[in-house]
Amino acid sequence: MIKAGIDVGAKTIKVVLMEDGKIRAKAKVLSGFDQEESAKEALEQALKEAGLSREAIGSIVTTGNGRKAISYASGDVTEPRAAALGAVFLYPSARTVIDVGAEEARAIKCDPSGKVLDFAVNEKCAAGSGAFTEAMARALEVPLEELGPLSLRSTQTIPMNAQCTVFAESEVISLIHSKTQKADIARAVHDGLSSRVVAMVRRVGLDPELVLIGGVAHNPGFVESFKRTVGIDDVRTAEEPEFVSAIGAALAVGK
Amino acid sequence: MATPTKYPTEALKCWPKAKEIRQQYYKDYASAHDRGGIRWSGGAWAFDAVPMGLGDDVHVMTGEPYAASIAFDRKFAQECQDATDARGWARDLCSYMRIYWGSMYLNRFFFGGEFPKPDFYYQTQICCSHAKWDQEASLHEKVPFYCIDVCVGPYETLTEERLNYVVKQLHDSIEGMEKTTGRKYDDEKLIAAVHNECRSTSLWAEICTLNKAIPAPLDEKTMFSLYVLNTLQRSSKQIGDFYEELRDEVKDRVARGIAAVPYERCRIITDTQPPWGFLKIYRYMEQFGVVSVGSLYTFGLEGIFGEQEDGSWGPRKTPQQLGIKIKTRDEALRITADWNLSRPQWQHFYDPAIKTRMMLRIYNEWKLNGVILHLNRGCEGLTVGSSENRLGLIKAGVPVMTYEGNMADEKEFDERRTTSRIESFMETLGLEQIPGAVAAQAAS
Amino acid sequence: MIEKFKEWYINRHTYAKQWKEQTGGKVIGTFCTYVPEEILVAAKMLPARILGSHEPQDVTEPHIFGMFCPFCRDALAQGLKGRFNYLDGVVLAHSCIHFRQTFNSWRIHLPVEFSYYIPMPNTVQTPHARSYHRVEVENFKKAIEEYTGRPITEQDLDRGIEILNRNRRLLRKVYECRKLDNPPLTGEEAMYMAVTSQFIDKEEHSNVLEAVLKELPERKLPRDSGIRLMAVGSENDDAEFFKMVESVGSTVVIDEQCAGSRYFWNESVPNGDRLAAIANRYLDRPPCPVKDYPAHSRFQHVLNLAKDYRAQGAIIMQEKFCDPHEGDNPRLKKFLEENGIPTLSLEFDSTNPLGPFRIRVEAFLETIRGEELF
Ligand code: SF4
Ligand code: SF4
Repeated sequence: MIKAGIDVGAKTIKVVLMEDGKIRAKAKVLSGFDQEESAKEALEQALKEAGLSREAIGSIVTTGNGRKAISYASGDVTEPRAAALGAVFLYPSARTVIDVGAEEARAIKCDPSGKVLDFAVNEKCAAGSGAFTEAMARALEVPLEELGPLSLRSTQTIPMNAQCTVFAESEVISLIHSKTQKADIARAVHDGLSSRVVAMVRRVGLDPELVLIGGVAHNPGFVESFKRTVGIDDVRTAEEPEFVSAIGAALAVGK
Repeated sequence: MATPTKYPTEALKCWPKAKEIRQQYYKDYASAHDRGGIRWSGGAWAFDAVPMGLGDDVHVMTGEPYAASIAFDRKFAQECQDATDARGWARDLCSYMRIYWGSMYLNRFFFGGEFPKPDFYYQTQICCSHAKWDQEASLHEKVPFYCIDVCVGPYETLTEERLNYVVKQLHDSIEGMEKTTGRKYDDEKLIAAVHNECRSTSLWAEICTLNKAIPAPLDEKTMFSLYVLNTLQRSSKQIGDFYEELRDEVKDRVARGIAAVPYERCRIITDTQPPWGFLKIYRYMEQFGVVSVGSLYTFGLEGIFGEQEDGSWGPRKTPQQLGIKIKTRDEALRITADWNLSRPQWQHFYDPAIKTRMMLRIYNEWKLNGVILHLNRGCEGLTVGSSENRLGLIKAGVPVMTYEGNMADEKEFDERRTTSRIESFMETLGLEQIPGAVAAQAAS
Repeated sequence: MIEKFKEWYINRHTYAKQWKEQTGGKVIGTFCTYVPEEILVAAKMLPARILGSHEPQDVTEPHIFGMFCPFCRDALAQGLKGRFNYLDGVVLAHSCIHFRQTFNSWRIHLPVEFSYYIPMPNTVQTPHARSYHRVEVENFKKAIEEYTGRPITEQDLDRGIEILNRNRRLLRKVYECRKLDNPPLTGEEAMYMAVTSQFIDKEEHSNVLEAVLKELPERKLPRDSGIRLMAVGSENDDAEFFKMVESVGSTVVIDEQCAGSRYFWNESVPNGDRLAAIANRYLDRPPCPVKDYPAHSRFQHVLNLAKDYRAQGAIIMQEKFCDPHEGDNPRLKKFLEENGIPTLSLEFDSTNPLGPFRIRVEAFLETIRGEELF
């Protein structure tokens, strides 16, 4: 039986099809205005990739901020649960899951079965999520994908003082005006973000068995600075970090 | 999962009366001057027995419950806060204070007409915002302001000198009120008011103690509308009488096994004022069979507790019950000072460890399964130390969830995220929605 | 000589550790500026005020919720990061609820030999505060005696009072020089002096102050003093900010802040009863707004300072979420402006984005200069 998991995120929708504990197909589309419509599109894409028809799907479980918006789903699970299930599936030893998405970040403490024991969410503060790097990339006038690699070229740490996105933007601009290297600014941006993420992780406790998931884990600049901030070198990063929650959602059936 | 037990429920008979008293209270305040009476305003924690010595026609309007009433009307609440913002006050200040000021600046009384100007302000100071609140209000209204400093440390370390310091200020405040109103102060009336104050607040603690029963006869959402009378005027005889009636009714509910929430299977407490405009989150929890049986806030904001003979927590014995006959003004003031200083919700201002201890006591004696802490951006006074309370509870093995919000500023509350958090917490407690409970709510 | 203060400011922890090694004495962390340090000095202890470091940090999130002032979190972070691990004790005198959290989290997570909370009156304006606070100062003295196992004699108290008073007097003298048309020191330098007096051995500090006072008459700043500014508001020991302000055509000539003049402004006036003299000193000092009611007694003091030091403008510096100051500022602003002192209000986080602040300060200075022209 095929189990589908859909992560209905604020920016993108991710679909994963699973069969007998293996991933059969994945798809990702932009959320757009109509989350339900976009989810359907993603689901169809994934089915096409797997060479399957809609009838082959036994269950559809959603997660993410739009998880209740999908009428054809057979159920939904909360974001922390999906993240924990997905992370433990990929990395059985994971005990702390750090999920940094476009608009929200959360830290989840879980047991070996993927049961959530405690969690912390970075609410309503763009400075602690992907939106922050996006805004700073705009201020720096570099494409978002290049911000991470750029920061890796930095040779020095400059503190980024601003605590919120609006202030940070003007701080970046004044750093540009004072002729600071873009690479150094980019590094400061990631340091700022990871310091806020780490502060949140400390609320559930820092366990060395941690896994980074969510779209922002793609950004090598963030990962590097995150490691520096927590002082843990072998931070595992999911290979396709943005799909972990969709995997967890697919697996939630029968749990 | 087995079908959970369904307990019988009944509407509370006292309910309409509580509502009536509240409405009358605001009417009386607004019309006090028409009848030659006196009006004073200040905090819910002010020593409200003291102005009672000025006469039977003294009417009070405490600021916090007034602002909380407005919070239910999100539009007017916003207008009030905008008016306060417009005068340059920071948005992160106490949201009750911002609403109260706004209503005053706009000269619009929530219950109709112009904002009734008090003859004086009377306040206690324990939270940083208390004195500042009435300092501004009294300057704006150009009326005197008396403020009693009660920052003498936790009750467990109270000494004679510390008590005296509060009592002396109370004496001064009486002199001030006499001057302001031109009235002769009547000690007999003060003594009666102190008696009533002790009675009302001890009765409320007794009612909360009855909630140790399974199923709980009251849920917190209902308690919100009941405890509030003590915040209006705990020294009034009418309110003491009301609590007596309520106590009897709740006792009867316990005897007959009447529940507040039909599918009770998980008991929690919360913390601080809830986001008033979104009490439906309590209804949402009920779908999982969760009942909030109270909080240190609903219990101890105006309930005065004491250790019982068996070591458990219950109502503090009143002077009447102890056979103490109050004879003089000084005795009355000493009793009211001591009584108020023992207020559970004052202790955390000094040390979060005391609050954690009280919460653990409630956790055990009220037989709880978890705690939900509201990190209330609207009230730094009750949120102070919350993070340490969380750590302390977790250390003791208590499941804890936190959510951020604001009691009266809806801009700082995210309903979707909060419900989703609650759902996650329910998952960690191993609870799923009960179809019967969901259906019953949908039908009602 | 004057550079010494900056050096101390930067190396405060090294200093304290060395002091401890050399004297074998106890270092007591003081929370807020209401702790009666006379008692500590009488007991030959080193009072060291707990301050922040203005660096971004991620360690206080589990302890203090984000709606409290950044200063109280920055200060706790220093403890959690182990920078104050030389402390033998901690003392808080009742002030705002924000900072009390720093003290409480400290007591819970960073245990020390001695911890004490002084329930000092919050309403300093009531006459009853005096006798009450005297008893609390006495209780504190007893607790210290019990801790050290040595009595604090009247001579000790006299010495404590005199050491503190001398330091206060000298700081006042330095501040006096800032009244000159061309102040011989910058606001940044004055800040180093005032702030370091809160954790450096008072006698040592006073000795350097005395030496500096001898140099000051000859000293000239290598630049025009520009617009004379006052800084008023919440806790502020942010030297970088003053440096920036003074780099764009102004000099900070006076402050009304708890890390500055509010800390040392008045002396303990000996009146026979030494403990009463100490207690009264803290009730009579320029108050933190949290203690200033029913009247706004502080406002007139602020204005007097502005006039005495001929400030042409005031920067109202407010820590984000600082309720005590937020509860004063709109009226204080109005009061100053009505009395001819233009103001600029800035909201501070523990770390401050200097760039955007520079733009606003420059604009503010421009308007003041503009007024000068007409
Ligand atoms: S912040 Fe809370 S405790 Fe303080 S005055 Fe406001 S409602 Fe009261
Ligand atoms: S007075 Fe203000 S700046 Fe100082 S500790 Fe309190 S809240 Fe923070």
